[in-house]
Amino acid sequence: MSEANIEGDAGNTLPVGEASHMRRVLIIWVVASVILIVIWLAVAQFILPEEQSSLDGADNFTFIVLTVLAIPVAMFVFVFLGYSLYFFRSQGRPTDDGIPLQPTASIQIGWLGITSLLCLFLVIWGMFAFYQESAAATTSNDTLIVQVTAQQWQWTFTYPQYHVTSQGAQLIELPVNRPVIFSVTSEDVLHGFAIRALGVRVDANPGETTSTSVVTPTETGSDAVQCVELCGLYHSYMWEAVNVVSAGTFSSWIASQGGHS
Amino acid sequence: MSSTISSTPVAEVRRPKIINVLFPSVVSGIVLGVVAAALAGVLVNHLTTAYSPDQVPNDDAVTVAVYTAWVIFFFVGIGGFNGIFKWAFGRHEPTVAEEQQLAGKDQGLWRYFRWTTDHKVVGMQYLATVLVTFFLGSMGAFMIRLEQSQPGAIFFTPSTYNTIVGMHGILMVASTIVMISGPFGNFVLPIMIGARDMAFPRLNALSYWLFFASIPIFLSTLFLGGFPTGWTGYAPLAVQQLTPGMDAYCFTILVFAFSTTVAAMNIITTVMIMRAPGMTWGRLPVFVWGVVLSVVLSLTAFPSFIISQVMVLMDRIFQTSFFLAASGGSNWLYEHLFWFMGHPEVYVIAVPALAIAAELGTVFTRKPMFGYRLMVGSMIGISVLSVVVWGHHLYTSGSENALVAPYMLDTELISIPTGVFFLVLVGTLWRGRIWVTVPMMFVLGLLVNFVVGGISGVYLADLPTDEILHGGMFVVAHFHFTLVGTGVFGFFAGVYYWFPKMVGKRLDPMLGKLHFWLFEVGFVGTFGALFYAGLLGEPRWSANIAPPFAVSNTIASLFAILIAASVFTFVYNVIHTLVRGEVAEANEWGAKTLEWTLPTPVPLENFEKLPVVTGLPYDYGRVLPELPVTPAADIASVVVVDTPQLESQPED
Repeated sequence: MSEANIEGDAGNTLPVGEASHMRRVLIIWVVASVILIVIWLAVAQFILPEEQSSLDGADNFTFIVLTVLAIPVAMFVFVFLGYSLYFFRSQGRPTDDGIPLQPTASIQIGWLGITSLLCLFLVIWGMFAFYQESAAATTSNDTLIVQVTAQQWQWTFTYPQYHVTSQGAQLIELPVNRPVIFSVTSEDVLHGFAIRALGVRVDANPGETTSTSVVTPTETGSDAVQCVELCGLYHSYMWEAVNVVSAGTFSSWIASQGGHS
Repeated sequence: MSSTISSTPVAEVRRPKIINVLFPSVVSGIVLGVVAAALAGVLVNHLTTAYSPDQVPNDDAVTVAVYTAWVIFFFVGIGGFNGIFKWAFGRHEPTVAEEQQLAGKDQGLWRYFRWTTDHKVVGMQYLATVLVTFFLGSMGAFMIRLEQSQPGAIFFTPSTYNTIVGMHGILMVASTIVMISGPFGNFVLPIMIGARDMAFPRLNALSYWLFFASIPIFLSTLFLGGFPTGWTGYAPLAVQQLTPGMDAYCFTILVFAFSTTVAAMNIITTVMIMRAPGMTWGRLPVFVWGVVLSVVLSLTAFPSFIISQVMVLMDRIFQTSFFLAASGGSNWLYEHLFWFMGHPEVYVIAVPALAIAAELGTVFTRKPMFGYRLMVGSMIGISVLSVVVWGHHLYTSGSENALVAPYMLDTELISIPTGVFFLVLVGTLWRGRIWVTVPMMFVLGLLVNFVVGGISGVYLADLPTDEILHGGMFVVAHFHFTLVGTGVFGFFAGVYYWFPKMVGKRLDPMLGKLHFWLFEVGFVGTFGALFYAGLLGEPRWSANIAPPFAVSNTIASLFAILIAASVFTFVYNVIHTLVRGEVAEANEWGAKTLEWTLPTPVPLENFEKLPVVTGLPYDYGRVLPELPVTPAADIASVVVVDTPQLESQPED
């Protein structure tokens, strides 16, 4: 009995009408998924925050792609759930049993195959983006170097090419269209260095210096440096404004900070 | 209680003196524990002052000494060592009467406050305690939502806020870890496999009372300056923190992790050796599989949590430098140790909840599970893969890049067995006779939430999106969808499902439905809004939220009011049911697992005659010539389960 129970012989116990249920639910699923994907593609630009670098743009694009993939997956469960609840719901305590369906080998293999392909796509996509970023990490002479030192609870930014340090400042500036690399360290505990609009995020480790990828701001505007690792009492106050400005404005800002090249 | 003393009926009647009632019990345990803790505190305070060069006591050493004395003497007071002492000093082996006395026979409600070995008592103790810790943790959650409802630190100081966040985190994580394997793993699991008790009844009592003893230690952090690290307790912040509230955190983890380790060994052994005749591994209810895999995972995970906290305590007390970069330590060491525990722990919580969903899915659709082996395979796959994914918590830590690719691959592989779970559940619902009871509503809610929780995890597993989301509110929303939306919904499904068997009364279904809808709508609204805040870049742990994120946080806080209402609805439902609830049927839901074949309340030792199991408990939809469970003819002892004549029973 137990063996039969596991393997099932459901194929010949299906009532008439099963195919039409299955066809209907699959049609609903496809239609709902297509509609939602179209809606998502239309509204994604309004939902995602504005990007100020190609790196952040690539990250946002990945977000859009993953959501396009996620919609049919989620809708599969939601549509089957809703359909089953609507059509197969028992009013009160059921007096008879449901049909003892068991998955056929083709359903199992097909399901595993499709989910494996989706998973493979995600991994390849992620690794491709990762290596693309690593390849872009080479610095040129033009690259602006910003040394970031975190401590409880403020940031210190040093521009070694200009011999200037901006400590406890309310804002820092970056020139537009010039590659920049942040090398980040901490003086006390773990902090997290993140600028959302540039798509850079790396931990500030005590005793270690870690670098972000080389990132080129492409739009002028302002965003914030935020601490994203809990670092104690005033963790949530540890943020500063970052302005991406034109090269001329940047030069005069550097000069106002006492820097020279 | 020696047999010579109680040889006359008169002595039996006079036995329950007040001293015998109070010792051993939780009252004597607390009294002795507190006295010993106070003495240890005074002693170590004196010693560390005397030996310190500048005459300053070592607060951390004093705190740890107080907690150690509390735990040890609490167990002396509650009678935890009585059996060992009696055995060691050459008294006789315990008689059947003594064992039954220890199991709480004829002690009424007082047995819940003693060192009681009956697995059903331990299960009820766990259930009551977990409900209390959940309630405390949810109060922390509402304080967090209150603070984050407006920009700026307006309701709490940053220090208070950090402590509230950390306390909410630990209370909830600890509660969710034991919420299924504690109450149901102890009460239901032994009956489900046809056992009369757990393999080690005394260890069972030990695991519960260790959990109990850790709670006052944890709450004491409120009076010791709190701790600023959140539930993750990251070093070197944890080492740097000067108030002894941090020691309370570390010591709580030690005691709690010992408790889960003891419980895990007990449950694994029970399932390995105490199964009823005919209960092969291939016939175990899926719920049993889920709990076993969960506790196996906790055995691999918690040792690294214990060792990390021992190292933090050593850094704090003895000035070692495991995590201090200035002296050659590394914060990455702590992060790896922590997440080696932290990620499997998520599945310690989720796997038994998924198992409850699958188990209840068959009962309330009156259909066999759509692929029993698929479901078991799915849970095994999740468990095995989850041990080696912890590195994705360190994508942005700045440590070695070469490890990113394998962690990404492994993390995303988990989506395959998780997808199988959805196939099983969707297939079970398809063409069933879906009976939408309160437990079933929580299962359906779990499915919806787990879709969102699982898919949002993909964004965090893939490096490009993790780069903009790591350490932010998106992560918070994601893990609440998995731990609350999946784990806690599974727990509530279990509570509504097994409450009639455990307590004998049915929870009010109308209040239950209200509870569900308030919870589900409030939950999805709250954390949906936080997904958006995370997408905009809001960092975690913000006492002072920045203006760009204010709108989503206010929306989240408004929805949290619904969750608060659901909590109080549930509390009222439980109290209402305990006072004047309807008496439940012995087989309330028409299920086929073994616990429903027993009368309510389940008698001591459960089965008068051990059942013989002939198949899976999911054989709905077939006309059966006989009941799936038939009592065996002559099984006198629980020890003899695999006698030859039983093995020769036809399996089909």
